[in-house]
Amino acid sequence: MARFQLKSSRVLQAHLAGDTARAITGAMVAYEGDISFKSTGIGGSGGLGAAVKRRMTGESLQLMDMKGSGVVYLAKGAMEIQLVQLAGDKLSVESSSLLALDTDLRTDVAFAGLRGASSGQGLFTTTVSGNGTVALLSDGPMIALEVSPQYPLVVDPDAFIAHRGQVTQTFITDISWRNVIGEDSGEAFSLRFDGSGVVYIQPAER
Amino acid sequence: MPGFEMVNSKVVKVRLGSPVIARRGAMLGYTGDVRFVPHGVPGGAGAGGLGGLAGGLARRMAGEHEATMEATGQGEVWYGFRGSHVTIVDIAPGQVMLVEADRLLCHDVTLQASTAFIGQGGMRAAVSGMMSGQGLFTTQLSGQGSAVLLSHGETFSLPIDQSRNVAVDPQAYVAALGQVKVEVSAKVGWREAVGKGSGEAIQLRCTGSGTVFVQASEEKL
Repeated sequence: MARFQLKSSRVLQAHLAGDTARAITGAMVAYEGDISFKSTGIGGSGGLGAAVKRRMTGESLQLMDMKGSGVVYLAKGAMEIQLVQLAGDKLSVESSSLLALDTDLRTDVAFAGLRGASSGQGLFTTTVSGNGTVALLSDGPMIALEVSPQYPLVVDPDAFIAHRGQVTQTFITDISWRNVIGEDSGEAFSLRFDGSGVVYIQPAER
Repeated sequence: MPGFEMVNSKVVKVRLGSPVIARRGAMLGYTGDVRFVPHGVPGGAGAGGLGGLAGGLARRMAGEHEATMEATGQGEVWYGFRGSHVTIVDIAPGQVMLVEADRLLCHDVTLQASTAFIGQGGMRAAVSGMMSGQGLFTTQLSGQGSAVLLSHGETFSLPIDQSRNVAVDPQAYVAALGQVKVEVSAKVGWREAVGKGSGEAIQLRCTGSGTVFVQASEEKL
């Protein structure tokens, strides 16, 4: 299996020894050795079903396969990178926050509820499941917040990156007459998480 | 010899001994008795750099030109530019640094700047240079001294030698130091033509010996 390693907080190394790793298209900044890059097509690693869903939902995720032997350096927009290990569980992630993943992991599209309609994040989210490593992008150092049944969590949709575990996500609104006259607090829409798991956010709003 | 020092990831401080050339508008503050004069333009006080007037004209024509100023006197000067990350690179005699003019924040006056034509590979290399947005000309620094590079996100350096095959994304390429040859290689297939490419069709292949500096982003400055 390809090995991911952080070279610095903003640059990810993917070590390849004749095997394959996957990253979003255009994320390579440099490589050493003999590597070829090939688009996986619109389905990504999810097969035809995911391809059709992506077409219909507009939750676009352009991935490429990197194959060969050597080291590939990956980075995007000088954003900070965090590695997340998956052990058979599922990670729901904004497609714009995904940088790279192991080829053993499957990607799919899931309905994320009625958030996004206003936040511009879209109604659908990308899910990654299986065993392996995912590299996430964060504008600033990523923050992992724990959700437990006693302590539900509310985050800004524009700062949300990903969540994992047994978490249900609901979209809450706080609209009153103040919004109408423009005297609102700017936090009219929020994401609420109940259950137990982890929510990852970034210290910046998209 | 002035000494460059990182204040933080985005600001450098220089203690002036001999003058320092910097991009115009990059001075953040100074202490001591420092004067700033336009540099390298006809009529300016210091027509230094290789070629003087003619060199300045060549740079103008090539579009490989940023207005520069020269700081002289005694004191300390702080430089930074639009929140870009900075990297200090020491150049030894015999080494050459290739850098785009807009990636250069400041350098010792002891370094000679000239404009180099990078389309050595004939028409094909020239055309692909234009396609990759690298332009046909690059700034070349030689001599002994230090230069400070600008980048979006921090830079990392990759060693170049005969045993390694190194390629860099044109948008992430910042500079090359040593005896490095940078060539554009294009692998444009039918996938790129239908818009389903990997986004990595055009690469800069680095050969020779030295170091290449790469930024953690694909954004131009």
